[in-house]
Amino acid sequence: MATQRNLLSRSLQAAKSRCRYHQSLRGISSASAPELPPFGYEPKPYNGPLADQVLEKRKKYLGPSLFHYYQKPLNIVEGKMQYLFDESGKRYLDAFAGIVTVSCGHCHPDVLGAIVEQSKLLQHATTIYLHHTIADFAEELASKMPGNLKVVYFVNSGTEANELAMLMARLYSGNLGMLALRNAYHGGSASTIGLTALNTWKYPIPQGEIHHVVNPNPYRGVFGSDANQYAEDVKDHVDHGTSGQVAGFIAETIQGVGGAVELAPGYLKLVYDIVRKAGGVCIADEVQTGFGRTGSHYWGFETQGVTPDIVTMAKGIGNGLPLGAVVTTPAIANVMAQKIQFNTFGGNPVCSAGGLAVLKVLDKEQRQKHCADVGSHLIQRLRDLQQRHDLIGDVRGRGLMVGIELVTDRKEKTPAKAETA
Amino acid sequence: MQRFATRRCICGTGVQRWRRCLSQLAQKTEENEVYAPKIPSFDYSPPAYKGPTSEEILRKRKEFLSPSMFTFYKKPLNVVHGKMQYLFDENGRRYLDAFGGIATVCCGHCHPDVVKAIVDQTNQLQHSTILYLNHAITDFADALASKLPGDLKVVFFTNSGTEANELAMMMARLYTGCHDIISLRNAYHGNAAGTMGATAQSNWKFNVVQIGVHHAMNPDPYRGIFGSDGEKYAKDIEDLIQFGTSGHVAGFISEAIQGVGGIVELAAGYLPAAYSSVKKAGGLCISDEVQAGFGRTGSHFWGFESHGVVPDIVTMAKGIGNGIPLGAVVTTPKIAEVLTRRSYFNTFGGNPVCTAAGLAVLKVIEREKLQENAHVVGSYLKDRLCALKDKHESIVINFTFSYDSFIGDVRGRGMMLGVELVTDRHLKTPAKTEILHVMDQMKDMGVLIGKGGFFGNVFRITPPLCFTKDDADFLVDVMDYTMSKM
Repeated sequence: MATQRNLLSRSLQAAKSRCRYHQSLRGISSASAPELPPFGYEPKPYNGPLADQVLEKRKKYLGPSLFHYYQKPLNIVEGKMQYLFDESGKRYLDAFAGIVTVSCGHCHPDVLGAIVEQSKLLQHATTIYLHHTIADFAEELASKMPGNLKVVYFVNSGTEANELAMLMARLYSGNLGMLALRNAYHGGSASTIGLTALNTWKYPIPQGEIHHVVNPNPYRGVFGSDANQYAEDVKDHVDHGTSGQVAGFIAETIQGVGGAVELAPGYLKLVYDIVRKAGGVCIADEVQTGFGRTGSHYWGFETQGVTPDIVTMAKGIGNGLPLGAVVTTPAIANVMAQKIQFNTFGGNPVCSAGGLAVLKVLDKEQRQKHCADVGSHLIQRLRDLQQRHDLIGDVRGRGLMVGIELVTDRKEKTPAKAETA
Repeated sequence: MQRFATRRCICGTGVQRWRRCLSQLAQKTEENEVYAPKIPSFDYSPPAYKGPTSEEILRKRKEFLSPSMFTFYKKPLNVVHGKMQYLFDENGRRYLDAFGGIATVCCGHCHPDVVKAIVDQTNQLQHSTILYLNHAITDFADALASKLPGDLKVVFFTNSGTEANELAMMMARLYTGCHDIISLRNAYHGNAAGTMGATAQSNWKFNVVQIGVHHAMNPDPYRGIFGSDGEKYAKDIEDLIQFGTSGHVAGFISEAIQGVGGIVELAAGYLPAAYSSVKKAGGLCISDEVQAGFGRTGSHFWGFESHGVVPDIVTMAKGIGNGIPLGAVVTTPKIAEVLTRRSYFNTFGGNPVCTAAGLAVLKVIEREKLQENAHVVGSYLKDRLCALKDKHESIVINFTFSYDSFIGDVRGRGMMLGVELVTDRHLKTPAKTEILHVMDQMKDMGVLIGKGGFFGNVFRITPPLCFTKDDADFLVDVMDYTMSKM
């Protein structure tokens, strides 16, 4: 619970939607509460355990560190497109999408169809045998990538993807030091905890040679939106904190867990240059920003006009399937060929089929454009809201990756932790 | 025509076995009139396959997938469908799956109960995270915890064995305040930074910094320096602790039967002695049940139980979900508390679909008595393999080469069995090339078997636990036939 209050802003990362948003009245009075847009679907009747029973079992079997939202935790039993249903059949607008994960929509029929069909044929055999789904999916994914980024490694989560990316960077460069941004989140394993730079998530264990550079945060950063000054800090770290040579640099283009923080414009171009001169590779963590979510581009890094050497992805890649991927260049991939690198579940037929279906849905239903349209509408409305409520310190993000930072004092930017909760 | 000879050593009690083996195998007649063993019948026809062919897939793999990705066989197999203990290729040909997707498919490919659970839940809710409540995760955690002894009842769900072992190692380090972890040479625990350190085979270790892990002498009854004397090996742990660490350690991690390492059963008496040393040094004992768990060893549900120990942390994956990406760490409430110091979160871990599948798997294992089947059929299979070992004492490949022996060792328990091939029984020289040949031939005859061991010369037999005696006979007969033809 305490950790939730530590989050400085509530990120409103809306699920992609087919329907138009309701044109609500501006300057709505407190007398008429807004109504959920209509949705021609009735949830299936729920006869399973209720919230209290589930909560009791969680406390008993899932450990004291497991947290949840809300004073009265919500028992979510069904999902359909951008809506979730609780145990009593009540419908909610899902504006978080299982943490930026459900990209096509809960139980999207095409994705569902692919998963169900493949589950009936073959769940698992591993890549020691051939199967077409992994190859088809890899090809399609690679076609979405610019430059020479076309060798795909499938894993089971964003953490695994970032672990692999870090390994690649160190092997390829022959160097040790990694650079990551303060306020970043890259994973929960011992090594990715090192890259992660938010103390909530960092256990007190050794984390290797990792340098956390000043976060180019336009709202709270010491240099505002001045990318040059932030880039200088990176150069400083390289010159004074390392041998002058580094393994690599990793960043989310819009920090997710960190509060939908967009990197100051022009930042990545400058930093990529510095890092490459120091022998390092550039890793783009697209776990949250990928797959058209930003609206303007398919990948977050494209919004900064750069091409990384390694791209990691997860979350939205499978609409909720446990799936992650790393895409890199043949040159870097060849270095990995020195030893055996194997992932038992990675690239299994069901997840690959699901992933391929997701890519097709995103294309067919023009979701990226939709994110741009609905996202800009949403952001505009939130900015209007900001005019009327002092509590809203900042509205930021792009497409359907939006953040609203609540503060009790606009000048001091004092986090409104209690109010947000 | 290839002429070959086999020299058989018929020992007293082995005679009956010989007769059965011989009756099932064709006698070599004057002019090679041999009949090949036939796959047991199976009343099922696979759906027609209309997808890409092997060649197309291979081409795409070369272009778009990791260059270090390997396949078995000279002509890689395009596996398109699975049903229980059988797999089907693009031509609809059926194979006996003796590898189980690496000890992963435990109930059987596309087992109806597991598929139903997956399909039903997928139609309901794929993913929401633990930020909200959902009963699937709690029902499964409850059922899983009930399978574990002692105070092992807090469950953390991950997406793989690697993630599970990484978490276990981190918890041990946090709990003890120490950093040193001991693992066994020849172990495999995962491929992320921490687990790569615990993994102890150079084939799997990249040239990157891997700190805080000490590798103890492997209590390998076949190749180890102390044979089967478990306690002698355990002395190495004492030594490592006293001389390689501050005298206090974070923990010790081991598989009860090493999987990737070639189905190496830890020498008897080893684990209790090792656990004792580790606990004296303040460390936690982690049992990696990724391959040995869920009844596979037949005699027990968990591999560690066959050694008479109770670990502090148990990790699992592979068989837990019959192939769905799922892993778990189970520990005591006291140890679980360390994670409250900060936040640990796994986005996909414990999602409704995977946990629904996991629960279905536990139910199938129970209802279909798969552990018992693993014990009965596994023991039968092992006996037949031992008989085969005695038979193939000498192979003449051609007129110029003659091998002193071929099957060096048969080991394992239940349906986690290993057959180590050597070209010299005394020197135990690994038969690295010969095994590839046999494996390929076996595939041509309809048996898909696994391979492992540091030298790559060990057949790994870890089939779906619904494997039958007829399947076991077929496997052994095909192996025999293939070796006899060499």
